[in-house]
Amino acid sequence: MKRPVRLEPGQKLVLTANRLLDGRTVWWCADGAWDLHIGRAALLDADEAEAVLARVAGEAQRDGVVGVYDTAVQAAVPPEPVTVREKIRAHGPTVHPEFAVETEQ
Amino acid sequence: MSIPVGHYQYDRIDRDFLQARIAEFEGQVQRRLDGTLSEDEFKPLRLMNGLYLQLHAYMLRVAIPYGILDSRQLRKLGEIARRYDRDYGHFTTRQNIQFNWIRLEDTPAILRELAEVDMHAIQTSGNCIRNVTADEYAGAAADELVDPRVHAEILRQWSTLHPEFTFLPRKFKIAISGSPNDRVAARFHDIGILARPGEDGAPVFRIFVGGGLGRTPVIGEELFDSVREEHLLATLEAILRVYNAHGRRDNIYKARIKILVQAIGVEAYREAVEAELAQMDLERYRLTPEAVAAIRSRFAVPLLEAPADADAVLAQQRREDPLFDRWVRSNTHVHRDPGHIIATISLKPAGGIPGDATSAQIARLADLADAYSFGEIRITHLQNVVLGHVRKDRLRDLWLGLSEVGLAEANIGLIGDIVACPGLDYCALANARSIPIAQKLGARFADTALQAEIGALRINISGCINACGHHHAGHIGLLGVDKRGEEFFQLTVGGRAENGAAIGTILGAALPEDETVDAIARLVDCYLGRRESGETFLDTLTRLGHEPFREAAYETV
Amino acid sequence: MKLFELGERTAQVHDVLVTLAELAERDDARAVLLESADDPALLKPYLNRLDLVVLRFPIFRDGRGFTQARELREYLRFSGEIRAEGHILPDQAAFLRRCGVDSVVLPKDGNGDPALWEKQLRQFPVAYQRSVLPERSVGPGLRVEEAP
Ligand code: SF4
Repeated sequence: MKRPVRLEPGQKLVLTANRLLDGRTVWWCADGAWDLHIGRAALLDADEAEAVLARVAGEAQRDGVVGVYDTAVQAAVPPEPVTVREKIRAHGPTVHPEFAVETEQ
Repeated sequence: MSIPVGHYQYDRIDRDFLQARIAEFEGQVQRRLDGTLSEDEFKPLRLMNGLYLQLHAYMLRVAIPYGILDSRQLRKLGEIARRYDRDYGHFTTRQNIQFNWIRLEDTPAILRELAEVDMHAIQTSGNCIRNVTADEYAGAAADELVDPRVHAEILRQWSTLHPEFTFLPRKFKIAISGSPNDRVAARFHDIGILARPGEDGAPVFRIFVGGGLGRTPVIGEELFDSVREEHLLATLEAILRVYNAHGRRDNIYKARIKILVQAIGVEAYREAVEAELAQMDLERYRLTPEAVAAIRSRFAVPLLEAPADADAVLAQQRREDPLFDRWVRSNTHVHRDPGHIIATISLKPAGGIPGDATSAQIARLADLADAYSFGEIRITHLQNVVLGHVRKDRLRDLWLGLSEVGLAEANIGLIGDIVACPGLDYCALANARSIPIAQKLGARFADTALQAEIGALRINISGCINACGHHHAGHIGLLGVDKRGEEFFQLTVGGRAENGAAIGTILGAALPEDETVDAIARLVDCYLGRRESGETFLDTLTRLGHEPFREAAYETV
Repeated sequence: MKLFELGERTAQVHDVLVTLAELAERDDARAVLLESADDPALLKPYLNRLDLVVLRFPIFRDGRGFTQARELREYLRFSGEIRAEGHILPDQAAFLRRCGVDSVVLPKDGNGDPALWEKQLRQFPVAYQRSVLPERSVGPGLRVEEAP
């Protein structure tokens, strides 16, 4: 079973996955789309996240994404993931600044 | 098409097989896209064909059987990096190459391009028998007894889509060497094989079983001292059969053969294997001299001719050029032919990413291999490149050519020759980033004179307990751990993969990422300050024990 | 239950299918179900009366069934029918056949499409190792194909 999410003050949850076709990291937006930029991700409260996650995960095949899960972010603009792993997923490998997600078209 | 030096030349039958494998994979991709295959079902199937889903994209691991490529194949890898990836590839500790930015939808096309040069990604991952690794100096080293590559190829073929052993409890790695100086870390593999000449001319094989790194590092134990060539495949079948039937499947961390060998003991394992052999129809499994000869005949042997003064020319050039001399000292190895030499090309530029090569560098390496080493290239388990048969009087020209593309780093076996896995910058399983630490250490010890002064010292870095960076086997090992989403590193010292294999000892609590490089610098200073003349890092460590090094590492100024 | 035949042998339907533990008490049983942890050697006393051994795959990644099938054929010389059921994929058709399995219970989802199984069986013209089937060499080296 899923562990209960404990968020620090100022934190929210976002949903993330990888795109099936090209494997790229994507973030779930309020309109149901999946976007390469975490800046467009929907920010969820802990109590609503579980239900949204279950619903969105159920549509993964239709949406062409793999491995949907939630992760904590600082609720800033743009939101910033809490863990190093998710920071790297959001921004790209730290050893290749030229591949940073922000600078891609 | 002429037969390549150093590896097996495919024929039409092999090529048809490869095409069939690609068609099969393409069908699997199609079924994944239309939903017939779930991700849980597709994942093991794609892994068996080398395709991972990593943090940012798919990663394709291409097999380089026994680490040998010809220049045509290497050029193709460069083209794939350019066309389907972001212009670079990463050579791994298992002598393979990985592309980090692959799209699932491009994969069948990439596999077709690879097949044009008889390459593939078969069994570079998955719970099956993985790509077989071999001595990087095979067929060239003066100390070699048997060239292991013919048998490595036999093992590659035998293990390819093996009907019984494709859904093992866990991955299964085999390494083979034919030198008394173990350069394949035979005792850190599920099966390690050391070949030596037998009385009738055919080789005999000493077989170790149950070695491995990962969460529970274990040094492999000798199962058999002298397996005859004709019984090599039968013996391997029996070892695998016992493992497949009895290896644990309830816990991924206890599923490797080493855990089974540890649990029942090597004697019981040997008895079980012998019981299998007693029931098997050995004739059916016999590796015949004809089959070996047929496979051997598809390897070309280099025609080693060098002018009589080749050695003198090299000696003269070394005297005249100290920079070249330093490179020769660290980056070459004795060849069995006195007019030739083995050159190791470092993929560890100071501050660079260990094992990475750009498509331009890859293309240049292919050209240099054509010009200087019969078009043959070897990838080492230390993430470097070897040209196996360079004429001594032409070595300097090779070095100059390497310098032009930033590949003339003189640091093989030295502290700058860092082994690092991709870590958290790419890898979905990682706890910490391996590459930035490697880059910082590389920059810290960039001075090649300082590196030469420090001498033999290997640093290995893994981003998690899976130990792809072989940290347990490093003289200094770093293991990335995650503490509440932050990166920490655990330090080990005293590991070694060579003869007298040993697992490193943990020095103490893991250090935060930003303190790790300084701690290692203090370790090195401790060694430099306390070594006696002629001692390597390992010698001093053995003499003094861990305590002074532990103190140095954890000393806070 | 839809059966698919991997080779020439016609799959048979048995009303009584017992577990390994039940076999000793059921003299009438002609068919036995082996779980993946069961040791096929325990079937030795019963082999003469068995027509069918069913190997159950709890999940397609659990490859013990392949070794069980080979042991039945190679060590125990079992000549009856071997069947695989449970979570198996068409991608495993040739592996199953080469280890001595004659038939499968087709999965109920999309992986149960007989055309997929048929196609996979014919995917590879050669193999690089001997199996339990009658085979002959193809070209020099290790390669074999099924002898007709
Ligand atoms: S050691 Fe861990 S982090 Fe490094 S490549 Fe292997 S699995 Fe990934």
